[in-house]
Amino acid sequence: MSEEISTRLNAKARTPIFLGMVLLALTIIYPLVFIILTALRPNVDYLRDPFGLPSVWTFDNFIELWQDYGVGRAFLNSLFVASTSVSIVLVLASLAGYALAKLPVFAPKFFTASFVSVMLFPGVVLIIPIYLMLARLGIVGNYAGLILVYVATALPFATFFLTLAFRAIPDELLEAARVDGAGFFQTVWLIVRPIGAPGIATLAVLQFLGAWNELIYAMILITDDRMKLLTPVLASIGKRFVTDQPLVSAGLFITALVPLLLLAFASKYIMRGLQVGISR
Amino acid sequence: MRRQSKVIGTLAVLPAFLVVFSFMAFPIGFAIYISFTKTNGLTYEWRGLDNYAAVFVDPIVYQVLLNNLKFMVSIPLVIFVALVAAVLLFERFKGWKFFRIIFFLPNVLSVAVIGLIFRNAFSFDGAVNQLIVISGGEPVQFFIDANYSIWIIILALVWSGFGYQALLLLAGLTAINTSVFEAAAIDGAGWWRRLFSITLPNIRKVLGFVFIINVLYTFGGIFGFIFVITAGGPGFETTTIDFLSYLRAFSSNNLGSGAALAVLLSIFIGLLTLAQAKAFKLQKED
Repeated sequence: MSEEISTRLNAKARTPIFLGMVLLALTIIYPLVFIILTALRPNVDYLRDPFGLPSVWTFDNFIELWQDYGVGRAFLNSLFVASTSVSIVLVLASLAGYALAKLPVFAPKFFTASFVSVMLFPGVVLIIPIYLMLARLGIVGNYAGLILVYVATALPFATFFLTLAFRAIPDELLEAARVDGAGFFQTVWLIVRPIGAPGIATLAVLQFLGAWNELIYAMILITDDRMKLLTPVLASIGKRFVTDQPLVSAGLFITALVPLLLLAFASKYIMRGLQVGISR
Repeated sequence: MRRQSKVIGTLAVLPAFLVVFSFMAFPIGFAIYISFTKTNGLTYEWRGLDNYAAVFVDPIVYQVLLNNLKFMVSIPLVIFVALVAAVLLFERFKGWKFFRIIFFLPNVLSVAVIGLIFRNAFSFDGAVNQLIVISGGEPVQFFIDANYSIWIIILALVWSGFGYQALLLLAGLTAINTSVFEAAAIDGAGWWRRLFSITLPNIRKVLGFVFIINVLYTFGGIFGFIFVITAGGPGFETTTIDFLSYLRAFSSNNLGSGAALAVLLSIFIGLLTLAQAKAFKLQKED
Protein backbone atom coordinates (compact mmCIF):
# COMPACT_ATOMS: atom_id res chain seq x y z
CA MET A 1 0.00 0.00 0.00
CA SER A 2 2.62 2.49 1.07
CA GLU A 3 4.52 1.79 -2.12
CA GLU A 4 1.58 2.89 -4.20
CA ILE A 5 1.51 6.34 -2.69
CA SER A 6 5.24 6.80 -3.15
CA THR A 7 5.94 10.39 -4.13
CA ARG A 8 8.89 9.30 -6.21
CA LEU A 9 8.57 8.75 -9.90
CA ASN A 10 8.34 5.24 -11.28
CA ALA A 11 11.30 3.73 -13.07
CA LYS A 12 10.05 4.61 -16.53
CA ALA A 13 9.49 8.27 -15.75
CA ARG A 14 12.87 8.53 -14.13
CA THR A 15 14.78 7.82 -17.31
CA PRO A 16 14.33 11.34 -18.73
CA ILE A 17 15.34 12.77 -15.38
CA PHE A 18 18.48 10.73 -15.35
CA LEU A 19 19.23 11.83 -18.91
CA GLY A 20 18.67 15.46 -17.89
CA MET A 21 21.18 15.07 -15.09
CA VAL A 22 23.72 13.46 -17.37
CA LEU A 23 23.30 16.25 -19.93
CA LEU A 24 23.76 18.93 -17.28
CA ALA A 25 26.78 17.13 -15.89
CA LEU A 26 28.29 16.85 -19.37
CA THR A 27 28.24 20.63 -19.82
CA ILE A 28 30.66 20.72 -16.91
CA ILE A 29 32.69 17.58 -17.56
CA TYR A 30 33.16 17.99 -21.31
CA PRO A 31 35.02 21.35 -21.17
CA LEU A 32 37.35 19.90 -18.54
CA VAL A 33 38.04 16.74 -20.53
CA PHE A 34 38.60 18.90 -23.61
CA ILE A 35 41.17 20.96 -21.69
CA ILE A 36 43.01 17.90 -20.43
CA LEU A 37 43.16 16.34 -23.91
CA THR A 38 44.25 19.63 -25.48
CA ALA A 39 46.96 20.10 -22.87
CA LEU A 40 48.43 16.72 -23.79
CA ARG A 41 49.01 17.43 -27.50
CA PRO A 42 51.23 19.71 -29.63
CA ASN A 43 49.63 22.83 -31.12
CA VAL A 44 49.94 21.52 -34.71
CA ASP A 45 48.06 18.42 -33.79
CA TYR A 46 45.37 20.45 -32.00
CA LEU A 47 44.86 22.79 -34.95
CA ARG A 48 44.47 19.87 -37.36
CA ASP A 49 41.63 18.23 -35.47
CA PRO A 50 40.68 20.05 -32.26
CA PHE A 51 37.79 17.79 -31.32
CA GLY A 52 39.38 14.45 -32.06
CA LEU A 53 41.68 12.52 -29.80
CA PRO A 54 45.34 13.60 -29.96
CA SER A 55 47.37 11.66 -32.52
CA VAL A 56 50.53 12.66 -30.66
CA TRP A 57 50.57 12.60 -26.86
CA THR A 58 53.09 14.82 -25.11
CA PHE A 59 53.94 16.46 -21.80
CA ASP A 60 55.89 19.22 -23.56
CA ASN A 61 53.29 21.89 -22.79
CA PHE A 62 53.56 21.18 -19.09
CA ILE A 63 57.36 21.04 -19.14
CA GLU A 64 57.60 24.27 -21.14
CA LEU A 65 55.22 26.13 -18.82
CA TRP A 66 56.74 24.78 -15.65
CA GLN A 67 60.35 25.57 -16.61
CA ASP A 68 60.29 28.46 -19.07
CA TYR A 69 57.26 30.51 -18.09
CA GLY A 70 57.65 30.49 -14.33
CA VAL A 71 54.62 28.30 -13.65
CA GLY A 72 56.59 25.91 -11.44
CA ARG A 73 57.82 28.73 -9.24
CA ALA A 74 54.37 30.37 -9.21
CA PHE A 75 52.81 27.04 -8.15
CA LEU A 76 55.14 26.82 -5.16
CA ASN A 77 54.60 30.50 -4.32
CA SER A 78 50.84 29.98 -4.30
CA LEU A 79 51.22 26.89 -2.16
CA PHE A 80 53.29 28.87 0.33
CA VAL A 81 50.99 31.90 0.49
CA ALA A 82 47.80 29.83 0.69
CA SER A 83 49.07 27.48 3.42
CA THR A 84 50.58 30.28 5.48
CA SER A 85 47.44 32.40 5.37
CA VAL A 86 45.20 29.41 6.13
CA SER A 87 47.35 28.48 9.14
CA ILE A 88 47.16 32.00 10.54
CA VAL A 89 43.41 32.16 9.95
CA LEU A 90 42.91 28.83 11.73
CA VAL A 91 44.88 29.90 14.80
CA LEU A 92 43.29 33.35 15.14
CA ALA A 93 39.76 32.18 14.33
CA SER A 94 40.04 29.20 16.72
CA LEU A 95 41.07 31.44 19.60
CA ALA A 96 38.37 34.02 18.86
CA GLY A 97 35.74 31.39 18.06
CA TYR A 98 36.41 29.46 21.27
CA ALA A 99 36.27 32.63 23.36
CA LEU A 100 33.05 33.84 21.75
CA ALA A 101 31.43 30.40 22.00
CA LYS A 102 32.47 29.39 25.51
CA LEU A 103 34.16 32.11 27.52
CA PRO A 104 32.89 35.31 29.09
CA VAL A 105 34.13 38.20 26.94
CA PHE A 106 33.88 41.96 27.39
CA ALA A 107 31.22 43.31 25.01
CA PRO A 108 30.81 40.10 22.98
CA LYS A 109 28.08 41.74 20.89
CA PHE A 110 30.48 44.48 19.83
CA PHE A 111 32.96 41.92 18.51
CA THR A 112 30.35 39.81 16.73
CA ALA A 113 28.73 42.89 15.25
CA SER A 114 32.09 44.16 13.94
CA PHE A 115 32.84 40.83 12.29
CA VAL A 116 29.40 40.68 10.70
CA SER A 117 29.27 44.29 9.53
CA VAL A 118 32.57 44.22 7.63
CA MET A 119 31.30 41.18 5.74
CA LEU A 120 28.52 43.31 4.24
CA PHE A 121 30.89 45.48 2.18
CA PRO A 122 31.73 44.53 -1.40
CA GLY A 123 35.36 43.56 -1.89
CA VAL A 124 36.04 46.31 -4.40
CA VAL A 125 35.86 49.05 -1.76
CA LEU A 126 38.94 47.58 -0.06
CA ILE A 127 41.24 47.45 -3.08
CA ILE A 128 42.26 51.11 -3.26
CA PRO A 129 42.77 51.81 0.46
CA ILE A 130 44.59 48.51 1.03
CA TYR A 131 46.93 49.20 -1.84
CA LEU A 132 47.70 52.69 -0.51
CA MET A 133 48.08 51.47 3.10
CA LEU A 134 50.45 48.67 2.18
CA ALA A 135 52.40 51.04 -0.06
CA ARG A 136 52.75 53.42 2.89
CA LEU A 137 53.86 50.55 5.16
CA GLY A 138 56.33 49.50 2.48
CA ILE A 139 54.91 46.00 2.12
CA VAL A 140 53.59 46.12 -1.43
CA GLY A 141 55.46 43.53 -3.44
CA ASN A 142 55.98 41.47 -0.34
CA TYR A 143 54.14 38.32 0.80
CA ALA A 144 53.55 39.74 4.29
CA GLY A 145 51.11 42.31 2.93
CA LEU A 146 49.27 39.83 0.72
CA ILE A 147 49.01 37.24 3.49
CA LEU A 148 47.69 39.88 5.91
CA VAL A 149 45.01 40.84 3.39
CA TYR A 150 44.00 37.19 2.87
CA VAL A 151 43.89 36.61 6.63
CA ALA A 152 41.89 39.76 7.32
CA THR A 153 39.30 39.16 4.60
CA ALA A 154 38.88 35.52 5.67
CA LEU A 155 38.68 36.08 9.44
CA PRO A 156 35.13 37.44 9.84
CA PHE A 157 33.54 34.37 8.25
CA ALA A 158 36.09 32.03 9.83
CA THR A 159 35.41 33.35 13.32
CA PHE A 160 31.67 33.18 12.80
CA PHE A 161 31.98 29.62 11.47
CA LEU A 162 34.13 28.34 14.32
CA THR A 163 32.01 30.09 16.97
CA LEU A 164 29.06 28.04 15.72
CA ALA A 165 31.14 24.85 15.52
CA PHE A 166 32.64 25.22 19.01
CA ARG A 167 29.26 25.84 20.67
CA ALA A 168 28.67 22.10 20.32
CA ILE A 169 31.58 21.25 22.62
CA PRO A 170 30.10 19.91 25.90
CA ASP A 171 30.57 22.32 28.80
CA GLU A 172 31.24 19.40 31.18
CA LEU A 173 34.45 18.59 29.31
CA LEU A 174 35.69 22.16 29.58
CA GLU A 175 34.71 22.26 33.24
CA ALA A 176 36.55 18.99 33.89
CA ALA A 177 39.64 20.39 32.21
CA ARG A 178 39.42 23.49 34.39
CA VAL A 179 39.11 21.39 37.55
CA ASP A 180 42.17 19.42 36.45
CA GLY A 181 44.02 22.71 36.30
CA ALA A 182 44.31 23.06 32.52
CA GLY A 183 45.11 26.62 31.42
CA PHE A 184 43.63 28.43 28.44
CA PHE A 185 46.06 27.17 25.79
CA GLN A 186 46.03 23.64 27.20
CA THR A 187 42.24 23.57 26.99
CA VAL A 188 42.29 24.86 23.42
CA TRP A 189 44.91 22.35 22.35
CA LEU A 190 43.69 19.27 24.25
CA ILE A 191 39.91 19.70 24.05
CA VAL A 192 38.75 22.35 21.58
CA ARG A 193 41.13 21.30 18.81
CA PRO A 194 40.32 17.55 18.74
CA ILE A 195 36.57 17.95 19.34
CA GLY A 196 36.26 20.86 16.94
CA ALA A 197 38.42 19.07 14.33
CA PRO A 198 35.66 18.52 11.72
CA GLY A 199 34.76 22.23 11.78
CA ILE A 200 38.40 23.26 11.66
CA ALA A 201 39.06 20.91 8.73
CA THR A 202 36.07 22.27 6.81
CA LEU A 203 37.27 25.80 7.37
CA ALA A 204 40.82 24.89 6.35
CA VAL A 205 39.62 23.48 3.03
CA LEU A 206 37.34 26.44 2.25
CA GLN A 207 39.98 29.02 3.14
CA PHE A 208 42.69 27.21 1.21
CA LEU A 209 40.47 27.22 -1.88
CA GLY A 210 39.79 30.92 -1.39
CA ALA A 211 43.45 31.86 -1.10
CA TRP A 212 44.60 29.55 -3.90
CA ASN A 213 41.99 30.90 -6.32
CA GLU A 214 42.28 34.61 -5.50
CA LEU A 215 43.32 36.74 -8.46
CA ILE A 216 42.93 40.48 -7.93
CA TYR A 217 45.04 41.12 -4.81
CA ALA A 218 47.63 38.60 -5.97
CA MET A 219 47.93 40.63 -9.16
CA ILE A 220 47.97 44.12 -7.63
CA LEU A 221 50.12 43.48 -4.57
CA ILE A 222 52.87 41.28 -6.00
CA THR A 223 54.85 42.95 -8.76
CA ASP A 224 58.14 41.02 -8.82
CA ASP A 225 58.03 38.31 -11.52
CA ARG A 226 59.84 35.78 -9.35
CA MET A 227 57.29 36.18 -6.56
CA LYS A 228 54.11 36.07 -8.66
CA LEU A 229 51.38 33.65 -7.66
CA LEU A 230 49.82 31.09 -9.97
CA THR A 231 46.53 32.83 -10.86
CA PRO A 232 48.07 36.08 -12.21
CA VAL A 233 50.72 34.07 -14.08
CA LEU A 234 47.96 31.96 -15.65
CA ALA A 235 45.96 35.06 -16.59
CA SER A 236 48.95 36.63 -18.33
CA ILE A 237 49.85 33.38 -20.12
CA GLY A 238 46.25 33.21 -21.33
CA LYS A 239 46.57 36.68 -22.80
CA ARG A 240 50.02 36.14 -24.35
CA PHE A 241 49.43 32.79 -26.01
CA VAL A 242 45.90 33.03 -27.40
CA THR A 243 47.06 31.17 -30.50
CA ASP A 244 48.58 28.29 -28.56
CA GLN A 245 45.56 26.63 -26.96
CA PRO A 246 47.42 23.49 -25.80
CA LEU A 247 49.90 25.59 -23.82
CA VAL A 248 47.13 27.63 -22.16
CA SER A 249 45.16 24.45 -21.47
CA ALA A 250 48.16 22.99 -19.65
CA GLY A 251 48.25 26.14 -17.50
CA LEU A 252 44.53 25.80 -16.79
CA PHE A 253 45.03 22.19 -15.79
CA ILE A 254 47.89 23.00 -13.43
CA THR A 255 45.92 25.78 -11.73
CA ALA A 256 42.73 23.73 -11.44
CA LEU A 257 44.49 20.58 -10.25
CA VAL A 258 44.82 21.45 -6.56
CA PRO A 259 41.16 22.56 -6.12
CA LEU A 260 39.94 19.52 -8.04
CA LEU A 261 42.00 17.18 -5.85
CA LEU A 262 40.59 18.90 -2.77
CA LEU A 263 37.07 18.47 -4.12
CA ALA A 264 37.73 14.81 -4.87
CA PHE A 265 39.18 13.97 -1.47
CA ALA A 266 37.58 16.51 0.85
CA SER A 267 34.13 16.95 -0.70
CA LYS A 268 32.64 15.91 2.63
CA TYR A 269 34.17 18.97 4.29
CA ILE A 270 33.29 21.31 1.43
CA MET A 271 29.65 20.24 1.45
CA ARG A 272 29.48 20.57 5.23
CA GLY A 273 30.85 24.11 4.97
CA LEU A 274 28.06 24.93 2.55
CA GLN A 275 25.39 23.84 5.01
CA VAL A 276 26.63 26.47 7.46
CA GLY A 277 26.76 29.05 4.71
CA ILE A 278 23.13 28.24 3.93
CA SER A 279 21.83 28.37 7.49
CA ARG A 280 23.40 31.79 7.81
CA MET B 1 37.94 33.98 39.00
CA ARG B 2 35.07 35.00 36.79
CA ARG B 3 36.56 38.43 36.13
CA GLN B 4 39.90 36.91 35.29
CA SER B 5 38.44 34.57 32.69
CA LYS B 6 36.63 37.50 31.08
CA VAL B 7 40.07 39.01 30.50
CA ILE B 8 41.31 35.76 28.98
CA GLY B 9 38.30 35.51 26.67
CA THR B 10 38.72 39.07 25.50
CA LEU B 11 42.45 38.62 24.92
CA ALA B 12 41.64 35.55 22.79
CA VAL B 13 39.27 37.53 20.55
CA LEU B 14 41.60 40.50 20.28
CA PRO B 15 44.16 39.25 17.73
CA ALA B 16 41.44 38.37 15.19
CA PHE B 17 39.65 41.63 15.93
CA LEU B 18 42.80 43.73 15.49
CA VAL B 19 43.65 42.16 12.13
CA VAL B 20 40.07 42.63 10.89
CA PHE B 21 40.02 46.17 12.22
CA SER B 22 43.35 47.16 10.65
CA PHE B 23 42.88 45.50 7.28
CA MET B 24 39.12 45.70 6.76
CA ALA B 25 37.35 48.23 9.00
CA PHE B 26 40.07 50.88 8.83
CA PRO B 27 40.51 50.57 5.02
CA ILE B 28 36.75 51.05 4.59
CA GLY B 29 37.00 54.31 6.53
CA PHE B 30 40.12 55.23 4.59
CA ALA B 31 38.29 54.60 1.30
CA ILE B 32 35.64 57.11 2.35
CA TYR B 33 38.36 59.66 3.14
CA ILE B 34 40.12 59.02 -0.19
CA SER B 35 36.84 59.54 -2.02
CA PHE B 36 36.81 63.17 -0.79
CA THR B 37 40.31 63.89 -2.04
CA LYS B 38 42.35 64.14 -5.20
CA THR B 39 45.29 61.85 -4.65
CA ASN B 40 48.04 59.98 -6.42
CA GLY B 41 48.71 57.98 -3.26
CA LEU B 42 51.38 60.32 -1.94
CA THR B 43 49.65 63.64 -1.45
CA TYR B 44 46.00 64.09 -0.57
CA GLU B 45 44.24 67.25 -1.66
CA TRP B 46 40.82 67.78 -0.04
CA ARG B 47 38.17 68.16 -2.72
CA GLY B 48 34.94 67.82 -0.77
CA LEU B 49 32.21 66.30 -2.90
CA ASP B 50 33.94 66.97 -6.25
CA ASN B 51 34.62 63.29 -7.01
CA TYR B 52 30.98 62.42 -6.31
CA ALA B 53 29.71 65.31 -8.42
CA ALA B 54 31.96 64.11 -11.24
CA VAL B 55 30.52 60.58 -10.98
CA PHE B 56 26.97 61.84 -11.46
CA VAL B 57 27.73 63.81 -14.62
CA ASP B 58 30.00 61.16 -16.15
CA PRO B 59 28.33 59.57 -19.22
CA ILE B 60 30.62 56.53 -18.92
CA VAL B 61 29.23 55.81 -15.44
CA TYR B 62 25.71 55.66 -16.87
CA GLN B 63 26.81 53.44 -19.74
CA VAL B 64 28.54 51.13 -17.27
CA LEU B 65 25.51 51.07 -14.96
CA LEU B 66 23.46 49.97 -17.95
CA ASN B 67 25.95 47.10 -18.40
CA ASN B 68 25.30 46.03 -14.81
CA LEU B 69 21.61 45.90 -15.66
CA LYS B 70 22.35 43.87 -18.80
CA PHE B 71 24.27 41.34 -16.74
CA MET B 72 21.15 40.85 -14.65
CA VAL B 73 19.85 38.79 -17.58
CA SER B 74 22.03 36.04 -16.12
CA ILE B 75 19.85 35.90 -12.99
CA PRO B 76 16.70 34.23 -14.37
CA LEU B 77 18.90 31.96 -16.49
CA VAL B 78 21.07 30.75 -13.64
CA ILE B 79 18.08 30.33 -11.31
CA PHE B 80 16.24 28.33 -13.95
CA VAL B 81 19.16 25.95 -14.51
CA ALA B 82 19.75 25.69 -10.76
CA LEU B 83 16.08 24.91 -10.20
CA VAL B 84 16.12 22.17 -12.83
CA ALA B 85 19.25 20.69 -11.27
CA ALA B 86 17.78 20.91 -7.75
CA VAL B 87 14.48 19.27 -8.72
CA LEU B 88 16.36 16.50 -10.51
CA LEU B 89 18.69 15.98 -7.55
CA PHE B 90 15.70 15.91 -5.21
CA GLU B 91 14.51 12.70 -6.87
CA ARG B 92 17.44 11.15 -4.99
CA PHE B 93 18.04 8.39 -7.46
CA LYS B 94 21.18 6.31 -7.39
CA GLY B 95 24.29 8.43 -7.81
CA TRP B 96 22.69 11.78 -7.00
CA LYS B 97 25.53 12.59 -4.63
CA PHE B 98 28.02 12.20 -7.43
CA PHE B 99 26.03 14.56 -9.65
CA ARG B 100 25.82 17.03 -6.79
CA ILE B 101 29.60 17.18 -6.62
CA ILE B 102 29.92 17.52 -10.42
CA PHE B 103 27.44 20.41 -10.49
CA PHE B 104 29.36 22.06 -7.68
CA LEU B 105 32.72 21.59 -9.40
CA PRO B 106 33.05 25.04 -11.07
CA ASN B 107 32.72 26.63 -7.62
CA VAL B 108 36.09 25.34 -6.50
CA LEU B 109 37.84 26.74 -9.59
CA SER B 110 39.53 30.12 -9.68
CA VAL B 111 37.88 32.93 -11.57
CA ALA B 112 41.14 33.00 -13.53
CA VAL B 113 40.51 29.41 -14.66
CA ILE B 114 36.80 29.83 -15.46
CA GLY B 115 37.40 33.14 -17.20
CA LEU B 116 40.19 31.70 -19.35
CA ILE B 117 38.15 28.63 -20.26
CA PHE B 118 35.50 30.92 -21.76
CA ARG B 119 37.98 33.39 -23.21
CA ASN B 120 39.78 30.51 -24.91
CA ALA B 121 36.67 28.75 -26.11
CA PHE B 122 35.46 31.90 -27.87
CA SER B 123 38.85 33.20 -29.05
CA PHE B 124 39.52 33.39 -32.79
CA ASP B 125 41.30 30.02 -32.81
CA GLY B 126 39.12 28.66 -30.03
CA ALA B 127 36.92 25.61 -29.86
CA VAL B 128 33.70 27.42 -30.79
CA ASN B 129 35.19 28.90 -33.95
CA GLN B 130 36.73 25.54 -34.86
CA LEU B 131 33.25 24.08 -34.57
CA ILE B 132 31.84 26.86 -36.77
CA VAL B 133 34.54 26.26 -39.38
CA ILE B 134 33.97 22.50 -39.36
CA SER B 135 30.27 23.04 -39.97
CA GLY B 136 31.11 25.31 -42.90
CA GLY B 137 30.85 28.79 -41.39
CA GLU B 138 33.23 31.71 -41.10
CA PRO B 139 35.06 32.23 -37.78
CA VAL B 140 33.68 35.08 -35.68
CA GLN B 141 35.67 37.72 -33.75
CA PHE B 142 33.47 37.34 -30.68
CA PHE B 143 35.27 39.84 -28.48
CA ILE B 144 35.05 42.70 -30.96
CA ASP B 145 31.26 42.67 -30.76
CA ALA B 146 29.80 43.87 -27.46
CA ASN B 147 26.65 41.74 -27.82
CA TYR B 148 28.68 38.54 -28.09
CA SER B 149 31.03 39.60 -25.28
CA ILE B 150 28.20 40.21 -22.84
CA TRP B 151 26.61 36.87 -23.63
CA ILE B 152 29.90 35.05 -23.19
CA ILE B 153 30.27 36.53 -19.70
CA ILE B 154 26.64 35.67 -18.90
CA LEU B 155 27.27 32.11 -20.05
CA ALA B 156 30.30 31.91 -17.78
CA LEU B 157 28.20 33.19 -14.86
CA VAL B 158 25.49 30.60 -15.45
CA TRP B 159 27.96 27.76 -15.97
CA SER B 160 29.91 28.48 -12.84
CA GLY B 161 27.03 29.59 -10.62
CA PHE B 162 24.18 27.15 -11.06
CA GLY B 163 25.68 24.28 -9.04
CA TYR B 164 26.01 26.19 -5.79
CA GLN B 165 22.56 27.70 -6.17
CA ALA B 166 21.11 24.27 -6.94
CA LEU B 167 22.48 23.10 -3.59
CA LEU B 168 20.85 26.07 -1.84
CA LEU B 169 17.53 25.22 -3.51
CA LEU B 170 17.98 21.53 -2.72
CA ALA B 171 18.38 22.42 0.95
CA GLY B 172 15.07 24.27 0.68
CA LEU B 173 13.38 21.29 -0.99
CA THR B 174 14.70 18.92 1.66
CA ALA B 175 13.12 21.09 4.35
CA ILE B 176 9.60 20.58 2.95
CA ASN B 177 7.54 18.24 5.10
CA THR B 178 7.27 15.00 3.10
CA SER B 179 3.75 14.30 4.36
CA VAL B 180 2.55 17.18 2.16
CA PHE B 181 3.79 15.31 -0.90
CA GLU B 182 2.28 12.04 0.27
CA ALA B 183 -1.10 13.64 0.92
CA ALA B 184 -1.08 15.18 -2.56
CA ALA B 185 -0.06 11.86 -4.10
CA ILE B 186 -2.95 10.11 -2.34
CA ASP B 187 -5.27 12.77 -3.75
CA GLY B 188 -3.99 11.77 -7.17
CA ALA B 189 -1.81 14.77 -7.97
CA GLY B 190 0.80 13.78 -10.54
CA TRP B 191 4.49 14.66 -10.48
CA TRP B 192 4.18 17.85 -12.54
CA ARG B 193 1.13 18.95 -10.61
CA ARG B 194 3.00 18.46 -7.32
CA LEU B 195 5.99 20.35 -8.73
CA PHE B 196 3.97 23.47 -9.48
CA SER B 197 1.46 23.43 -6.64
CA ILE B 198 3.60 22.16 -3.78
CA THR B 199 7.31 22.04 -4.47
CA LEU B 200 7.85 25.48 -5.98
CA PRO B 201 5.52 27.46 -3.67
CA ASN B 202 7.20 25.84 -0.69
CA ILE B 203 10.65 27.04 -1.62
CA ARG B 204 9.70 30.60 -2.57
CA LYS B 205 11.70 31.92 0.42
CA VAL B 206 14.84 30.16 -0.74
CA LEU B 207 14.15 31.34 -4.28
CA GLY B 208 13.90 34.90 -2.97
CA PHE B 209 17.19 34.48 -1.12
CA VAL B 210 18.90 33.07 -4.21
CA PHE B 211 17.54 35.96 -6.26
CA ILE B 212 18.99 38.51 -3.85
CA ILE B 213 22.44 36.92 -3.70
CA ASN B 214 22.43 36.95 -7.48
CA VAL B 215 21.62 40.65 -7.59
CA LEU B 216 24.38 41.39 -5.07
CA TYR B 217 26.75 39.25 -7.12
CA THR B 218 25.91 41.00 -10.37
CA PHE B 219 26.82 44.36 -8.81
CA GLY B 220 29.76 43.45 -6.64
CA GLY B 221 31.15 40.08 -7.61
CA ILE B 222 31.77 39.68 -11.32
CA PHE B 223 34.85 41.89 -11.44
CA GLY B 224 37.17 38.91 -11.87
CA PHE B 225 35.20 37.37 -14.73
CA ILE B 226 35.21 40.62 -16.65
CA PHE B 227 38.86 41.23 -15.96
CA VAL B 228 39.87 37.84 -17.36
CA ILE B 229 37.36 37.41 -20.20
CA THR B 230 37.03 40.84 -21.82
CA ALA B 231 39.00 43.31 -19.65
CA GLY B 232 35.85 45.45 -19.90
CA GLY B 233 35.98 45.77 -23.67
CA PRO B 234 35.27 46.40 -26.44
CA GLY B 235 35.46 50.01 -25.24
CA PHE B 236 33.52 50.11 -21.97
CA GLU B 237 30.85 47.78 -23.33
CA THR B 238 31.35 45.03 -20.73
CA THR B 239 32.71 47.20 -17.91
CA THR B 240 30.69 47.13 -14.69
CA ILE B 241 30.73 49.66 -11.84
CA ASP B 242 33.17 47.70 -9.70
CA PHE B 243 35.52 47.17 -12.63
CA LEU B 244 35.29 50.86 -13.58
CA SER B 245 36.25 51.78 -10.03
CA TYR B 246 39.35 49.62 -10.39
CA LEU B 247 40.18 51.06 -13.83
CA ARG B 248 39.78 54.63 -12.57
CA ALA B 249 41.96 53.97 -9.56
CA PHE B 250 44.84 52.24 -11.28
CA SER B 251 44.92 53.80 -14.72
CA SER B 252 44.46 57.46 -13.84
CA ASN B 253 46.43 59.53 -11.35
CA ASN B 254 43.35 60.23 -9.28
CA LEU B 255 42.51 57.33 -6.98
CA GLY B 256 39.85 59.52 -5.40
CA SER B 257 37.40 59.12 -8.26
CA GLY B 258 37.75 55.32 -8.15
CA ALA B 259 37.18 55.40 -4.40
CA ALA B 260 34.06 57.54 -4.82
CA LEU B 261 32.60 54.97 -7.20
CA ALA B 262 33.45 52.13 -4.81
CA VAL B 263 31.83 53.96 -1.89
CA LEU B 264 28.66 54.63 -3.87
CA LEU B 265 28.55 50.98 -4.89
CA SER B 266 28.95 49.92 -1.24
CA ILE B 267 26.08 52.15 -0.19
CA PHE B 268 23.91 50.67 -2.91
CA ILE B 269 24.84 47.10 -1.97
CA GLY B 270 24.34 47.92 1.72
CA LEU B 271 20.82 49.18 1.00
CA LEU B 272 20.07 46.05 -1.02
CA THR B 273 21.29 43.85 1.82
CA LEU B 274 19.14 45.73 4.33
CA ALA B 275 16.11 45.43 2.06
CA GLN B 276 16.82 41.70 1.84
CA ALA B 277 17.05 41.34 5.61
CA LYS B 278 13.77 43.23 5.98
CA ALA B 279 12.02 41.14 3.34
CA PHE B 280 13.12 37.98 5.12
CA LYS B 281 11.90 39.19 8.50
CA LEU B 282 8.51 39.96 6.97
CA GLN B 283 8.33 36.49 5.47
CA LYS B 284 9.25 34.84 8.74
CA GLU B 285 6.34 36.57 10.42
CA ASP B 286 3.74 35.20 8.05
